[in-house]
Amino acid sequence: MFLQTIVDVLVVAIPLFYGVVVFLYALSFFTESAPASRFKPALLRITVFLHLLYILTRTVAFDHPPITTVYEIMTILAACIAVGYLYIEMRTHARNTGFFILLLAFIFQLASSLFIKDLIEIDPVLRSRLLGFHVSATLLGYTGISLSAAYGFLYLMLYHEIKSSRFGVIYKRLPNLEMLEKMSTNSEMFGFLTLSVGIAIGFFWLPLAFDNVSYWDPKLIGTLFIWVLYLIGIVAKRRFGWQGRKMMIVSLVGFGFVFLSMTLINFWLSGFHKFH
Amino acid sequence: MSELLSIGISHHTASLDIREKMWLNVDETKEAVSHLLTKRFQECVVISTCNRTELYGTASKLPDPSDVKKFLIDFKKATGSVLDEHFTNAIGTNAVRHLFRVAAGIESQVIGDIQILNQVKESFRISRELDALGPLLNHLMQSALHVGKRVRTETQICEGAVSISYAAVELANKIFADLSKKAVLLIGAGETGELTLKHLIGRGIGNVKVANRTREKADELVARMSGSVVDYKDLQEALRSVDIVISSVTSPSYIVQPHHVQSVMKRRSHNPLFLIDIGVPRNVDPRCKKIDNVFLYDIDSLHTIVERNVDHRRDELPKVDKIIEEELNAFVKWRNSLSVGPTIHDLRDAFESIRAEEVEKNINRFSPDDRQLVDIVTKRIINKILHQPTTALKDGAEDQARDKETLLRIHALRELFGIAGHKLNGNEKR
Repeated sequence: MFLQTIVDVLVVAIPLFYGVVVFLYALSFFTESAPASRFKPALLRITVFLHLLYILTRTVAFDHPPITTVYEIMTILAACIAVGYLYIEMRTHARNTGFFILLLAFIFQLASSLFIKDLIEIDPVLRSRLLGFHVSATLLGYTGISLSAAYGFLYLMLYHEIKSSRFGVIYKRLPNLEMLEKMSTNSEMFGFLTLSVGIAIGFFWLPLAFDNVSYWDPKLIGTLFIWVLYLIGIVAKRRFGWQGRKMMIVSLVGFGFVFLSMTLINFWLSGFHKFH
Repeated sequence: MSELLSIGISHHTASLDIREKMWLNVDETKEAVSHLLTKRFQECVVISTCNRTELYGTASKLPDPSDVKKFLIDFKKATGSVLDEHFTNAIGTNAVRHLFRVAAGIESQVIGDIQILNQVKESFRISRELDALGPLLNHLMQSALHVGKRVRTETQICEGAVSISYAAVELANKIFADLSKKAVLLIGAGETGELTLKHLIGRGIGNVKVANRTREKADELVARMSGSVVDYKDLQEALRSVDIVISSVTSPSYIVQPHHVQSVMKRRSHNPLFLIDIGVPRNVDPRCKKIDNVFLYDIDSLHTIVERNVDHRRDELPKVDKIIEEELNAFVKWRNSLSVGPTIHDLRDAFESIRAEEVEKNINRFSPDDRQLVDIVTKRIINKILHQPTTALKDGAEDQARDKETLLRIHALRELFGIAGHKLNGNEKR
């Protein structure tokens, strides 16, 4: 009962916290507000802490990690993005990209908080440890891809400003192109590798969990398609020296498919990935 | 009471050849300050830069400004070429405001010049070394430095490059993460090109290459700046291994064509290439701008950046003026507090408040009959303690020759007892 109350409070509080964090990062980016710049890192840490507490509490309260529905997965994805961004901010001391990255975390968390259901009874197949690894690795992959896309988007905005000699707020506040490209490429490589591990575990687990499985599951095909797209991008980078603008576009297109996979396929197409 | 006088020559009133004649190096500055202290001022600071030579002095009876101007002209042996009309002077608050404007960088030729604050600091250091500062100028200079710091942190008056060469360097910093790992190629030996290269070297550019039609000129430049010479006919090949190209040659046709760049980009794995074309007529075909990862800027687009930055700095002027007025008010308040009358008044108030507080705290320990007596006795003690310092301050104020000594006493008194007026904007330490 006590844990349920904590979950009920946090499910409302966390999107609010993210909202305030995003607002502070926006204020600091667009107006250079000194108080916003001072308080934003501390508030982000508090928000991330509360978010992790929420996931832990939810896991204990409902006796399963929140990986069984798309809205449960969205809250994990939001937490991963926030943690990933916090790590990058601490490593690079570049604090001016937070608004664009944390906005993604806010959107995922808001959608999750609005529609998440308190499930106690879940399909027994979802209690597998292998499935836990599969979902964790795939989510880390999606996190890397999301971060890569966000940095790719910032790269393209700055690239456009420099090319067209229009020096606005983006030019003034963002780090340089090379750094943005490095952030995007590193996130992409991390995302691709963890997604590969996630897919491999999934393929191994699938025949163990179900007697008759079809490999034509829409989500599986969608994920494989995304994986192949990134593979092509990475090969093109190595083989044909693609970089800069082209690679950032690949990153954004990849993210577009991830988004479609998480929305269209989950809501309109059915397959074994749908457990509720 | 000491008064403040400022006299100076600047780019507003004199051309460069006149300003050059009045420029003082460190030794001359020291000598001039020492001379001025012996006859004309009690305290003195001289600031001399390529844009201005100014002195700030205090005295209980200020010298005639013409006499000081004559001294400066004679000191620099510039009689005849430097005239009285090249100078401006200001007294009291106007002199303070002028110094604050100088320290803020808004009196500089380039608004928001960041060098001037270091020059003010250096002048302050020289005068302090010569023991040419009393409480008034010491506080004034510290306030001026504070103004400079506030202006730099609270406004954007120093932001954005305001010269072609700096604009190019700023752009390079927005494209590349680490200039020490990058290489630059300078084509031609124009003044702006060389200046841009100097700025890039100042920012730690990793590798310098120079190409010129006349090989000797390239050799000469490389000898001065370090780097290597590239044969002019191998220009296209050189583009493959550099990240930044500064081009400023006089050529009737484009020396860098889109097809050159296209082929080079493939061979350099599409790594970003920053082309700075400051040649007139242009050296790089503008169509190169359309190639992916190629950033081409010509003299006009660099000019546009500079103009925009200058406009932006001008927009910041009201904020700077506001800071200057705030600090000026704080300074005037402090200055007024240094008068003998208010100091004695504040000192008595401070002692009286301590006495009254202690009496109130302990009054119940005394019998009702004794309470009035305690009040009288403690007041008498305070009066006796304060009698000597009060008399000494009043005597000092009546003797103009002891003006500096009186100011020092007042300053020390206020600082030791933390009397109101000593704090400036609630910020005691500067």
